[in-house]
Amino acid sequence: MKYIFNFPDIGEGLEEGTIVEWLVKKGQKVEAGDLLVTMETDKVVAEIPSPKSGTISALFGKEGESIRVGDALVEIEIEGVAGEEAVKEVEKGSDLEAVKEEGAGVVGTLEIAGNSAVLSGSTEGISEIEAIKDTTKKKILATPVARAMAKDMGVDINQVQGTGPAGRVTKDDVLQHAENSTKSTGTVSQNTPAAESKLVEVEPLSQMRKTIAKNMIRSKHNAAHMSLFDDVEISELDRVRKQYKERYTGEGIKLTYLAFIVKAVTYALKKHKALNSEMDTENDKMLYKKYYNIGLAVDTEKGLVVPVIRNADKLSIREIALEIQTISEKAREGKLSMDNFKDGTFTITSYGSIGGKYAVPVINYPQAAILGIGRISKQAVVKNDQLDIGLVLPLSLTVDHRIVDGGEVSRFMNTVMGYLADPVTLIMD
Amino acid sequence: MSYNLPDYAILHSDKQTDYAVWQPDKTYIVLGRSNRITDDSVYMEKATEDGVEIYKRPSGGEAVVLSPDMLVISVKLPVENPLKTHQYFRLINNSIIDALHKSGISDVHQKGISDISIGFKKILGSSIYRKEKTVFYHAVLNISGSVAIISRYLKHPSKEPDYRKGRDHAEFVTSLRQEGYNTAPEDLKKALAESLKALVSLPPK
Repeated sequence: MKYIFNFPDIGEGLEEGTIVEWLVKKGQKVEAGDLLVTMETDKVVAEIPSPKSGTISALFGKEGESIRVGDALVEIEIEGVAGEEAVKEVEKGSDLEAVKEEGAGVVGTLEIAGNSAVLSGSTEGISEIEAIKDTTKKKILATPVARAMAKDMGVDINQVQGTGPAGRVTKDDVLQHAENSTKSTGTVSQNTPAAESKLVEVEPLSQMRKTIAKNMIRSKHNAAHMSLFDDVEISELDRVRKQYKERYTGEGIKLTYLAFIVKAVTYALKKHKALNSEMDTENDKMLYKKYYNIGLAVDTEKGLVVPVIRNADKLSIREIALEIQTISEKAREGKLSMDNFKDGTFTITSYGSIGGKYAVPVINYPQAAILGIGRISKQAVVKNDQLDIGLVLPLSLTVDHRIVDGGEVSRFMNTVMGYLADPVTLIMD
Repeated sequence: MSYNLPDYAILHSDKQTDYAVWQPDKTYIVLGRSNRITDDSVYMEKATEDGVEIYKRPSGGEAVVLSPDMLVISVKLPVENPLKTHQYFRLINNSIIDALHKSGISDVHQKGISDISIGFKKILGSSIYRKEKTVFYHAVLNISGSVAIISRYLKHPSKEPDYRKGRDHAEFVTSLRQEGYNTAPEDLKKALAESLKALVSLPPK
């Protein structure tokens, strides 16, 4: 009988851990209680013992790799247990999820230790064990991608024959199963999810898309979004930018409007500290940050990322322009490190270069606000009671209304617009 | 360098239960089990320039700085106690918090996975090495150490607890002295030792 031991929650409630050191090799005989592997989570290094005696037939993962709680860690061949005896063995061990498979690649009974698998000498996972006792549901061995894909396609993964290691169901198995189901029925029903797979292109969620989804929902659930829109006439800014653009181009620096906007926002944040703060509800405190790290939402092929320009208040417009260029290039080449995303205090999203005048940007929680930059266009404007053609920049500001009151929102917007309308003040202030 | 600081003996002794409260004799940098120096966790140039010894501990977590202005608390408990790992953190940290309260220090809480804070600033970080039969816990409590020393040697960690909220070392870490408590290290050692003695004397549940 093959027994799959999954990585148990070693007690911090974290979702993943790193394989520090394998203490066994493939083919090695082990007794229950023998140490299998040293795993590390954020604060804990733990030696994980084997729950069964047998021979190690597979190790899932290499030293240094991270695996998620519940993912397969070790496969143990339990000798002398097969057929009906194996079924009894599985049923006897009611603390383990079990399944009997006849699929290719699996001989005999495959037993899977679920998240409830315990560390010896402790009662970790007891509540989960109780939960499993109450259910007759059986769990098939499958990759996370296959599981997600089956769910999306409405395929019952328990009906899919696995061809992966130890009979694990793979993405291809799910697709094959869906195709076979359609062929065998000979008809395409509009109502069955498997049939819909012919009409819908199914892709598993990327990690980046999952992160974006999680962050957006977290923001919408926790912050009280309120938005303000306005236009600022930036003809003078355009003149200044054009004046210096060529000089900077010679240095390989692209002088964009965004560099001026980052500078204006930073100065405005210094005058309106609530916009550069966050609410610590756990301790009933407000955290007013005295550093100005401006996140820039960058559109990449893989999705939205928000690298940060650190200490923007200490950088010149030229340095900001260079920094924007550097992080944008890195973002598009997928070369940003974790450090590039840390500690943002305010975010700017500039969609105008692609299209659109106004938006209701979602706050990069727990920050207090986000500024949207719309498409710059020539418009009729009134200057000195005369109709003129001006260059107009639309701004959309979303704030967390728990933190910032309406009056302060308007004052902040006025300050930003003041700097942009009269860019000399960016040097004078 | 191989870990050979004073609590090494506790970790490797045959005793199932033990504890120690000790003061480092000089400044050290201690890396977590999976930390590599090249992981960007340590400013190597400064550590080398100052001749600071760097060790790797067997437990998890991020790199820490130890100095004579800090206390290290090491505790070993048998796994027979039917507790999850986070409950060991809670059990031992509560014992430490109790000792701090008795020493007149208030507004002390466990924060994140295993830190202890005054208000929302960290004064103690801890980690665990869980073996088959024992749980080995160690923590560093900042009595009067300058946070500048941490900023000098350690970079911003790759992982951080939620309550850190991106704050740099200077904004995130504090010391008892910085918070207005001038308790003598010897008095604190005594209070902590009494509290831990009571903890390790508890019969297994």
